[in-house]
Amino acid sequence: MLFLISKRVLAACGTVIAVIMLSGTLIHLVPGDPVTAMMAQSVSATPEAMAEMRAKLGLDLPIWQQVLLYLGQVLQGDLGTTIRGNESVATLLLQRLPNTFALAVSGLGVALAIGIPLGFLAAVNRGRIADTAVMIVAVLGVSIPAFWLGLIMMQVFSLKLGWLPVAGSSWRNIILPALTLGLTYCALVARMTRSALIEVLNEDYIRTARAKGLREHEVLLVHALRPALISIVTVVGLVFAYLLGGQVIIENVFSWNGIGRLAIQAMLERDYPMIQGFIVVFAISVVIVSMLIDIVYGFLDPRMRHR
Amino acid sequence: MTSTIQTSVQRRHLPFSVALGLGLAIVIIMASLLSPYLMPFDPMRMAAGPRLTAPSMKYLFGTDEFGRDLFSRVLIGGRLSLGIGITAVVSGLLVGGLVGLFAAFSGRTIETVLLRLIDVLYSFPDTLIALALVAFLGPGIGNATLAIAISLVPFYARVTYGLAAAERAKPYIEAARLARIRSGRLVRVHVMPNITQSLIVMGTLGFSSAILSASGLSFLGLGVQPPSPEWGAILAAGRNYITKAPWILIFPGLAICLTVLSFNLIGDSLRDIVDPRRKGRS
Repeated sequence: MLFLISKRVLAACGTVIAVIMLSGTLIHLVPGDPVTAMMAQSVSATPEAMAEMRAKLGLDLPIWQQVLLYLGQVLQGDLGTTIRGNESVATLLLQRLPNTFALAVSGLGVALAIGIPLGFLAAVNRGRIADTAVMIVAVLGVSIPAFWLGLIMMQVFSLKLGWLPVAGSSWRNIILPALTLGLTYCALVARMTRSALIEVLNEDYIRTARAKGLREHEVLLVHALRPALISIVTVVGLVFAYLLGGQVIIENVFSWNGIGRLAIQAMLERDYPMIQGFIVVFAISVVIVSMLIDIVYGFLDPRMRHR
Repeated sequence: MTSTIQTSVQRRHLPFSVALGLGLAIVIIMASLLSPYLMPFDPMRMAAGPRLTAPSMKYLFGTDEFGRDLFSRVLIGGRLSLGIGITAVVSGLLVGGLVGLFAAFSGRTIETVLLRLIDVLYSFPDTLIALALVAFLGPGIGNATLAIAISLVPFYARVTYGLAAAERAKPYIEAARLARIRSGRLVRVHVMPNITQSLIVMGTLGFSSAILSASGLSFLGLGVQPPSPEWGAILAAGRNYITKAPWILIFPGLAICLTVLSFNLIGDSLRDIVDPRRKGRS
C-alpha cells in the first residue's frame, strides 16, 4: 500500500513539474512581442518600462533558462505578479480557490446524486424502455453546452420565476451554477455507472448469488452495487477534471467569484502571468484530486495494491 | 472491420440513433451550405427589421439588438461553426494520428516518453487546453481553430496509439517484420488501411467536442469576434437581452445542441459497430 501511495505521489509530482514547464513556455505562443502585446493599451509604455517588464518576466534570457527560472519560482510558491495592478498572482488565485472548490464539489455532488441512480436504473433494465430513455437523456446531456443551459436556467428560475438570485457569491447563489454543472455532467456519470454495473452483473459471483436463491434486490444492492461503485470511484477523478474545466465558463455566466472568472478576465486583458498561474493552479488541483482518488481506490479494491 | 460496418448497413441494421443523427447532420450541413439561397435577409444588415422583434412569419427567429434577422444569422453561422469543426478535426486527427503511430512504432524509450506526455495532456479537458492556447495566441477565428485542433491532438494520439498497438501485436505484422519491411512502409501499407476506418469514427466524436469548444470560446469573447454570426458569439451578445429578447439565446443555442447531438449520435453508434467489445456498455 505504501508502495502504491509513493508511486502515485511521484507520478503526480512529475506531472505537475511537466505542466509548470509547459506553462512557462506558453508566453512564446504570443504572436510578435509579448511585452508589446501586454502593454499595448497602457499609457506608460515607454521603452524603459518595456525593457523593465521584459527583464521582470525573464524574457531577455535564453528559453531554457526562462523555463527553469519559472519552475524554480513556482516551486517556491511564487507565481509572479499581475501586469495590471502589480498584485501577487498566487494570493489572488488562493483567495478565489475556496469559491471554486465549493462550486465544483456541489456540482459534482449533484452530478453523482442524479447520475448514479440513472445509470443504475438503465443497467438493471438493460435493453428496455427505461434504459433507452436514460441513454437518450445521457446523449442529450453531453450535447447541450453548459453555458447555454446555465443561461436558460438563469432566465427561467431567476428572471421569470424570481426564485433565485442572478449573480453573487452567497450560498443561495451557488444553487443555479451547481445545478447547471450537475445536470451537464450527470450524463457522463450515468453512462459510466451503467457500463460498470453491466460489467459486474456479468460476473460469475452474481450468477452464484442468483443461483442460491437470493432475491433480485439483494443481488443488486448487496452484491452488485458495491463493486460497481468502487469502479465508479476511478472515473470520479475524470469527471471532476472535466467539471472544473466546464466550470471556467459557468463561473463567468453566473459571475461566481472563482478562479475561472479571474482567468477569463486575465485572458481578455492579456495578463499573461495571471493566465500561467491559473494553468498551474488548475493542473495542481486536477492532479491532487486524481491522485487522492487513486489512493482511495487502492484502499477500496485490494487487487489494486499489488499492481 | 470494413466488413462489419458493411454487413451492418447491408442488413439494414442501421440503428435508429444513427439514422436520426445522419438525418439531422445532413439537414444542418445542407442548410449551412445553401444558406446564401435560404437566407431571407443579409445577416450583417442592421435594421433589416425593428430591433428585438419577437419571432414571426417575417422574422422566423426574431431580430437582435441591431435589428438584424436572427434566422439568417443562425443559418450562415452554421458555416462558421462547421468550418471550424472540420478544419480542427482534420488537422488534429492528422497530427494526433502521426504522433500515435510514431509512438507505437518507435523504440521503447520514445514510446514511454510520448505516452506519458500524451497522458498528462489528456488528463486536462480539451476545452481548457483550447482556452489556454487562445489566451496566448490571441482571439480570432484562425487562432481559435488552431487552438481547438491542438486541444484534440492528445485524444487522437491516444486513440491512434491504442489501435496501432493492437494491430502491432498481430501475426501479420510479425510476418512483415520478418520479411524485413521497414517501419515506415509497414505503417503506410499494412497498418494504416486497417485502422483508418476506426479513426474516422473517432473523428466524428472529436467533431462534436470541437463545435462545443468553438462556441464556448466565442461566447467568452476569445474566439470568433462579433459581428461575425458564430453561434457562441451571437449567444454572448444576446446575454444582455435575456429578459427582453430570450429568442436571441434560444435559437443559436438550439443550433449548437442539434449539431453536437447529431454527431454524438452518429459517433456513439458507429463506435459500437467498429468496436464490438464496447457494444451495449457505454
